[in-house]
Amino acid sequence: MNRRSALKLLSSLPAAAAAQAEVTYDDLRKADPKDWLTYQGNYNAQRHSLLKQVHTGNVADLTAAWIYHVPNANRLQCVPIVVDGVMYISQPNEVYALDGTTGRLIWSYNHEPALQRGPNRGVAVYGNKVYVGTPDAYLVALDARTGSLLWKAKLADAKDGYWAPVAPLAIKDKIIMGIAPGDHGLNGWLDAYSAETGERLWRWHSIPRPGEPGNETWAGDSWKTAGGDTWLTGSYDPELNVVYWGIGNPAPDFDGDVRKGDNLYTECMVALDADTGKLKWYFQYTPHDVHDWDAVEVPVLVDADFKGRKRKLLVQANRNGFYYVLDRVTGEFLHGSPFLKRLNWATGLTKEGRPIRVKEVIPTTQGTRTCPATAGATNWHSPTYSPDTNLFYVAMMEGCGINYKSRDTFRPGGMPYMATGYVEDPEAPWQTYVRALDLTTGAIQWEYKQVGSKRYGAGLISTAGGLVFAGDDQGFFTALDARTGKPLWHFNTGQQITASPVSYSVKGKQYLSVAAGSNIVAFALHGRAAK
Amino acid sequence: MRLAWLVLFPLLAFAQHDPAVVAQGRELYNRSCTQCHGADGTVGDRGPALAARRRYIRSSEEDLFNAIKNGIPGTGMPGSALPPDDVRKIVTYIRSLRATAIDAPIEGNTAKGEAIFNGKGRCRDCHMVNGQGGIIGPDLSNIAAERSIKAIHEGLTVPRPHIPTGFQPVRVVLQSGAELRGILKNEHNFSLQMLDMNGKLHLLSRDEVKEVEYDTQSLMPTNWAQRLTPEELKDLVAFLSRQARPVDGPRQPNARRRR
Repeated sequence: MNRRSALKLLSSLPAAAAAQAEVTYDDLRKADPKDWLTYQGNYNAQRHSLLKQVHTGNVADLTAAWIYHVPNANRLQCVPIVVDGVMYISQPNEVYALDGTTGRLIWSYNHEPALQRGPNRGVAVYGNKVYVGTPDAYLVALDARTGSLLWKAKLADAKDGYWAPVAPLAIKDKIIMGIAPGDHGLNGWLDAYSAETGERLWRWHSIPRPGEPGNETWAGDSWKTAGGDTWLTGSYDPELNVVYWGIGNPAPDFDGDVRKGDNLYTECMVALDADTGKLKWYFQYTPHDVHDWDAVEVPVLVDADFKGRKRKLLVQANRNGFYYVLDRVTGEFLHGSPFLKRLNWATGLTKEGRPIRVKEVIPTTQGTRTCPATAGATNWHSPTYSPDTNLFYVAMMEGCGINYKSRDTFRPGGMPYMATGYVEDPEAPWQTYVRALDLTTGAIQWEYKQVGSKRYGAGLISTAGGLVFAGDDQGFFTALDARTGKPLWHFNTGQQITASPVSYSVKGKQYLSVAAGSNIVAFALHGRAAK
Repeated sequence: MRLAWLVLFPLLAFAQHDPAVVAQGRELYNRSCTQCHGADGTVGDRGPALAARRRYIRSSEEDLFNAIKNGIPGTGMPGSALPPDDVRKIVTYIRSLRATAIDAPIEGNTAKGEAIFNGKGRCRDCHMVNGQGGIIGPDLSNIAAERSIKAIHEGLTVPRPHIPTGFQPVRVVLQSGAELRGILKNEHNFSLQMLDMNGKLHLLSRDEVKEVEYDTQSLMPTNWAQRLTPEELKDLVAFLSRQARPVDGPRQPNARRRR
């Protein structure tokens, strides 16, 4: 191309460049398995990929296709988003667009000021924009083609101590966005912003203010520094038009004396009208929590037979060690049972789903053995549900903690307001597993022990190829037979995995990808194996 | 020798400080510091080139002052016997060396410059500023926080020896015979990623590419000194020199987009 033709090209530029394939609400609803359009890949958060080029019969031939090293990254938690072969990944203050077939960089975005705090769990896509939360509590919209900053919406004042590690969720023309951290005594909310302009459309406060129902569940003024944050992406039912979001712990975390009462809506699953943010129902897993067991774990939506009746279910493996089955139309509690073998803080659940507490198992100044540990029976890493096996798979941890408490005073500016904390119980050390639970009874069907692995963070995906992919803190990315839990393939990524994997397909080739330490790694079948 | 340098390196600083203080600081600097740091802070033989944009370099006024006054233990940097007033002047001068456009005074009219950016110059056809504009050229919303006024001026008037990564114009012929024109965002032996002139991204394997023709010149015209009047050019530079994203916290002098 010579100079003249270049100039000719310039003069023929359209006033507004024609669109790259835009992501519509319809696309998000349909969730074509070739893409991975939302944090959980699908509004129902099942994380079940319909791709089956890679299956139990050939997964042994899976190989690394590429590795992208994210500069200065450390224990990445982002879930890649993939649109038409373009992969969007993130770390705090940064977003990268990669070629999903080669791992080559297309663009990157650096946010200023680059405050260093919190992880970042990923981006959302809608239209021709990419959305990301920032450590200084902004929701940022970028041009998906170039990474150009289009607008930023202020979620909160960073100097108050808020940040936004949450992967946003695009619903219709809105971007749903949560906030962190409750451990600093900062009250949470869930917001909806205009996808086009960044204007805030609604805000639901997770701590009821005086005059609002639920405020009476907080003694005195304790509601003012109460926590209840919304730091993990929820799910959505398009037919009911309801957003489901788990709410974090009350503050101070370990001292319940200063906040007597059930402490709504901390430790709840809430169902909000997606158009208005109005609360439709709530279910509180751990009333008056004193163990920092945020109930933010992924709400998985499944339509299934429950005791002979077809029902719309919401299931969650909670950080407190119980697996819960709710009716997601009404919030009715249907079933709950431990998925943890060693659980000592409750003897069971009432028929309404309230825990039957063991009174002594509360934090003390001397320390109290508490099972599960505060790290949780599970945490932010995603579970998966396979309709092929009707099993719910959870990456989880056995082990206990010693929980302490102290007197703490709220200090503004994002100072921890936790009233001390916990340590690993030397007599009940931690060990991670992948467990497969029956969807409606919660009965453990099989387990895969991740030998040598005790730190949590690696999530799961199931595929129509009959596989469940899991990571661990040793850096292994492993394919399990979804029916039996038998390991069929593994790859040592060399770094602790603290993120959940995805699958997508470009030009007829299926990829699996996961953030491992400071890298994004993608896997595919090579050559003949792919046929 | 010193005289030659003075001629070769005319005062380029656009400091936010009093130009007279900068000039005095430069005088003091060139008398005391050049042996290690080079004339005008540009060389860096035994010490770092102070005008360079590197993360580890002290950037706050206080840090610079202390380093000059007290030296840096464990390095060859000695303390200075100059009176504090003179040290301040040197600090001012060093900071002026690194000043990005947003921190420097401008001469032209930004409103007129914006009109040229959108109109006569047709800059916005290719460049985005604050979410509005084309996507073929680099986003300029933060250019004033990334470049000096001099660099901005040169970008408009001096042909570049290299086309910046991510903006190489190409013509790609596919095995199918189809032809694509646009810019390369990235490439290597096995794949290339290009944005065509319609803003559509193509993820191409080398297998499907028959031919790639690289233009030797950037799409960015550099004859603005001819295409605009001196006044208009000054206005355009002024407009660009004020394009910096507002930040809540301290601006990070080296935070730049990698692509």
